[in-house]
Amino acid sequence: MQAAAAHGHAAREVVWPQDPQFGRASAGKIAMWIFLVSDGLSFAGLLLAYGILRGESLVWRHPGEPELGIAFTAGLTFLLICSSVSMVFAYEAALHDQRKRAAVFLGLTALGGALFLLGQYNEYFGIFHPGLTKEGLVLGQSAYASTFYVITSFHGAHVFSGTLYILITLMRWLRGKATASQIELLGLFWHFVDLVWILVFTIVYLIPTG
Amino acid sequence: MTETPAQAAAHGTGSRARQYLTIFFVLFVLTVLEVGVAYVRGHKTEVVVVLFSLAAVKAACVALFFMHLKWETRVLRATVVVPLSLPVLYALVLITEAAWRRLAG
Repeated sequence: MQAAAAHGHAAREVVWPQDPQFGRASAGKIAMWIFLVSDGLSFAGLLLAYGILRGESLVWRHPGEPELGIAFTAGLTFLLICSSVSMVFAYEAALHDQRKRAAVFLGLTALGGALFLLGQYNEYFGIFHPGLTKEGLVLGQSAYASTFYVITSFHGAHVFSGTLYILITLMRWLRGKATASQIELLGLFWHFVDLVWILVFTIVYLIPTG
Repeated sequence: MTETPAQAAAHGTGSRARQYLTIFFVLFVLTVLEVGVAYVRGHKTEVVVVLFSLAAVKAACVALFFMHLKWETRVLRATVVVPLSLPVLYALVLITEAAWRRLAG
């Protein structure tokens, strides 16, 4: 596969002309940023709705509903931060045409995404402990439960699609069909998922309910 | 403006590995701080302000360094930052309005 790249079958980087407004940002990069801004506004809508519901409620967490596990979720947050670091290292390696190194870091990033999803499954349904659904946090039962599941699962859907995106790009990279610029676009999406989680973790998990 | 990572690589001016590791360390420390602050009881307003400030710094670190916004043009930065500032502004208006109602009521 590396031989294919060495013999000129690899995808070639397109060098974008200098633009007075957007510099050398490619059309793909500008499109990705516009997509991320619109996606960010979707999350903003959900978080604003959460804030309004929580701010106006007399009782946010009803008796019998479990507290959210901060320590476990802090571990998941750390995992996403680590996967963001492995993503920037994958991009750095791709820029320097270190193909094997880039592939390893992309693989590690995908592993981080998969472990995050496993952690979220454990939090909802329980693998190592009962899980929130069995502890009394039921979707539709209260605003506390519904906003929690809607926001975190919307983010989880992004982690899932991001992990798939990484795996597809990894396959293309191994076949010499992906470029460093395409890995940068993938990185933008993945870091966005990390950035949103930083806000979700703070707003949904860390702000005290008492 | 400093070189983007791609330009730095093209000009052979080295990688940004050390900078990425520094940001990783900052994010790790801020996350630990956040978790510590979340367990503080009795000063809810102060806790919320500190938590939002820490989250804002972490989000800015990711956007500026990992997403390379620091090295993009002013127009591209504005294309991203201006629309995303609007919900923040809206949240501030809502918080102010709620606080006003509580004080008045």
